[in-house]
Amino acid sequence: MDLQDGEAEVIRAEVDGVLQRHGLERENLIPILQDVQSRLGYLPKEAMQQISEALKIPEVDVYSVGTFYNQFRLNPPGKHQIKVCMGTACHMMGGHIILESFERRLEIKEGETTPDREFSLERVACVGCCALAPVVVVDEKVEAKVSPIRVDGILLAFEIESKKSGEIEKPVEEEGRMQ
Amino acid sequence: MSATGTIIQAYESLKKAAVIKVEALKQKPLVLVGTATCGRAAGALNVLQTFRDEISCRSLDVEVKEVGCIGHCYAEPVVIIAKPGFPALCYGSVDEGMAGRLVTDFLINDDPCYEFAMAALEPNDQFPTFADFPRGVYEKKIILADCGLIDPEDIDHYIAHDGYAALAKALSMDPAEVLEEIKNSKLRGRGGAGFPTGLKWEACRNASGDQKYVICNADEGDPGAFMDRAILESNPHQVLEGLIIAAYTVGAEQGYIYVRAEYPLAVTRIRTALEQARERHLLGESILGSNFNFDIKIFQGSGAFVCGEETALIASIEGFAGVPNHRPPYPAHAGLHSKPTVINNVKTLSYVPHIIRNGSDWFKSIGTPDSPGTAVFALAGKVVSTGLAEVPMGTTLRTLVYDVGNGIKEDKPFKAVQIGGPSGGCLPESALDLPIDFDSLQQAGAMMGSGGLVVLDEDDCMVEIARFFLDFTQKESCGKCTFCRLGTKQMLDILTEITEGRGKPEDIDLLWELAEDIKAGSLCGLGKTAPNPVLTTIRYFRHEYEAHIQEGRCPALMCKELISYAIIPEKCSKLCNVCIGSCPVEAIYTRDDMLKAIYLDKCVKCNSCMVACPPQYKAVVKVSPPIVERGGSQDEQLSNHNN
Amino acid sequence: MRAPEGEKLLWVALDNGIYIPHLCGLREAERPAASCRLCFVEVEGLPNPVTACTLPVSEGMLVHTRTPRVDRLVRTGFELLLSNHRLRCGKCEKNKNCELQKIARERGLKLRLSRLRPLISEVPVDESPKTFKYDPGRCVLCGRCVWVDHHQAKVGAIGFIRRGISRKIAAFGDVPLAESRCTECGECVKVCPVGALAFKEK
Repeated sequence: MDLQDGEAEVIRAEVDGVLQRHGLERENLIPILQDVQSRLGYLPKEAMQQISEALKIPEVDVYSVGTFYNQFRLNPPGKHQIKVCMGTACHMMGGHIILESFERRLEIKEGETTPDREFSLERVACVGCCALAPVVVVDEKVEAKVSPIRVDGILLAFEIESKKSGEIEKPVEEEGRMQ
Repeated sequence: MSATGTIIQAYESLKKAAVIKVEALKQKPLVLVGTATCGRAAGALNVLQTFRDEISCRSLDVEVKEVGCIGHCYAEPVVIIAKPGFPALCYGSVDEGMAGRLVTDFLINDDPCYEFAMAALEPNDQFPTFADFPRGVYEKKIILADCGLIDPEDIDHYIAHDGYAALAKALSMDPAEVLEEIKNSKLRGRGGAGFPTGLKWEACRNASGDQKYVICNADEGDPGAFMDRAILESNPHQVLEGLIIAAYTVGAEQGYIYVRAEYPLAVTRIRTALEQARERHLLGESILGSNFNFDIKIFQGSGAFVCGEETALIASIEGFAGVPNHRPPYPAHAGLHSKPTVINNVKTLSYVPHIIRNGSDWFKSIGTPDSPGTAVFALAGKVVSTGLAEVPMGTTLRTLVYDVGNGIKEDKPFKAVQIGGPSGGCLPESALDLPIDFDSLQQAGAMMGSGGLVVLDEDDCMVEIARFFLDFTQKESCGKCTFCRLGTKQMLDILTEITEGRGKPEDIDLLWELAEDIKAGSLCGLGKTAPNPVLTTIRYFRHEYEAHIQEGRCPALMCKELISYAIIPEKCSKLCNVCIGSCPVEAIYTRDDMLKAIYLDKCVKCNSCMVACPPQYKAVVKVSPPIVERGGSQDEQLSNHNN
Repeated sequence: MRAPEGEKLLWVALDNGIYIPHLCGLREAERPAASCRLCFVEVEGLPNPVTACTLPVSEGMLVHTRTPRVDRLVRTGFELLLSNHRLRCGKCEKNKNCELQKIARERGLKLRLSRLRPLISEVPVDESPKTFKYDPGRCVLCGRCVWVDHHQAKVGAIGFIRRGISRKIAAFGDVPLAESRCTECGECVKVCPVGALAFKEK
């Protein structure tokens, strides 16, 4: 992925800041990557190279770690992150139906981001709210006992919000659904 | 003065201050809102805000505090109100409206709204307590006892409940005596396999090396278990105290708590707990005035189930991908940075302070001779009272499901329990009278695992359950060893074919063979236990596999490829349009005679119409094998199908 | 049989002319990877088959390299690897010089799938290096190349990326090797037991 103007500088500055807050031992690699991702939203290649230089380890070792764990993203995420719980209880209570509902409404598959970068859709292993299944985590908020209708409600709320703030309409709208 | 005297004195002064502070709280009304993750999901933060707003706009002298989870998840959000002159009362399923009522009726006036109350916390002559619930009779709370009742963000609440007394006692003993006490207690690791904790500690203590580590494994990855999260969010100091005692016993100066990334609230509450423990010299240099130094770092996982395996967890802390290594060497000999390391689960460590305080004989008096103590289960699935339950080891599954869990939702027949998550198995009705402990479960082909217990009824397909767990382990396999990387994928592909109606008769035996070989051949615990869901479902529910393969039929009406939805004309009301409104893809239409029907080719089988159809009609049904699609709608085909 | 105390059984057996199937073992590595799961043996006194690459020999140890349980595990492990291996031996540079062929010959196993589904993803061969090529479809993930790259050649060009069924050996960013730090020293090619890394024919 190519960076836009100025992005490389932002990445360099953020990673510098993160590296200053941590010791430069291998043991800190995962905390550093977490910190970088929490600031940039993902792990750009340039950031991983910069980290490998600072920690004096091969860049492929950083890449190994960055591609191993579920939490790390190598591409920028959507503005809103939707995580559908796929734990046992959620699965038994219809979590897969909820995931499919989001996939259908957003017209993306799990692990993808809408072309307008508004939403990304992920599955998570278990958020530990099994008694309230099926559960969806929208940004930081946990939604309990979600139904396919509630999926429409969640997305509609974002649509209304973005209309209010005067943004252009998103592809997630009534017409899109009818196709 | 002796060192022991100093330690006890330092503790007594902490305790005295804490008791004064907590007693002062009891002088005025106190509102406790359960804001653990499960409470928040049910809307606890809105309830909390309502109490705060109502109380401040009326300038009431009432303390509002956030607490953790009392384990009655089916009743979230849960609120406890303690008003002087009344028994402390617990209210369930509280919403903003009820919160407002409680402020005006109870806090301002003196009507405790008994009609909303679930139970009182202490025995009294006005309202029943949790002990009067059927589940109260069978439950025995040790490590969950204070959860939901104390403020997890205020160390003084824990100290006032005898918290850290065990640490003071342990520091006054020789580490060898502490070890003897733990060994005598026969405490077994609650992470899953049930290895004796005392032996683990002893191996680490006797291992040579000046630097040692203790690690709390809070990487609770089992998709269906949430007790570690609840404990960390509700009573983090109990875990810290256990970890500090472990460190003192084995001689470690550095500890870690390895927490899952998916548990942000637990991380926040542990962080606060660590700071408060340091302020009171319960952590850091010369703890409680002794010459013992120890501190704890939080390490956040990054989303990998395999990191619950101890060698993978160590690799992760060292900054590598969470890939397991061959054991031996065991971490107790060569663990983190190749130094002797003890790794214990959250629950295991939570028992430690209780054992030190009350003695190993007390602990052994609970549970069974070979598995003493209690077991904590996360009840979920089709059980009425979902939530966390702590029962003595040896309790039967029947008691757990029917007495503690209040039976199956809608009184449907019991089919199975899935116990122990991806490493556990599915046990049928014939196992209901099995006393639960580490060994009995293993014999039945399941495993205690971390204690997830999902109750399944006739609507749950056992092949699909096996496929679900294999899908999970296959996605979470680190990929290092041949059997787990490729074997779980092979099993998953076979199971998927069966659930989609493409299974072959020889597949069941092939699955069984592969499962046995993966169990014997895999490198780590994840691979060795991954076949358990397949083995137990074939062992106990082979007929369901056969129905899928031979008849193209899913007996539980769950596997999407093997079912169709249909609307029974005789039951449909004609005038009601609820199903049409509920359909997200406009697959339901009104026929010329006003009856509703489904376009089979449009239907995405989302179940919305079935839920939406009013109970007096129940006109939407699922049929298996599916109605053969000949384009068009279901109505002309339904009658043929039923013949 | 005599052997230095603590030496791993796999190397002792091989040194004494007793063949035990193996792919991932490297004598020089401090810690055995134990990932290929083919070197199973049964040792008297131990309840289950164990991997020979991780087992230190000891005085009086009685080892069986062929038992029904060992043969069954090796057969399944081998077939699992084949299910994810681009076969077509006739077109492979390592034909007649391949460890998989050797295992098949020694243990009387067939070089085709009998029970399992093929799991091969049609990934392209990386022909970018001048002197060798890398075919991920033939890789058995033994990790020997990664070990020599990191510990002997000390280049740090390749490593394991991703996980589970997607785990593979690649350079930073999963780019063709010619665009990576690879120096084409050829050390990794020399240790590849199969046809995943092979020198181009002159």
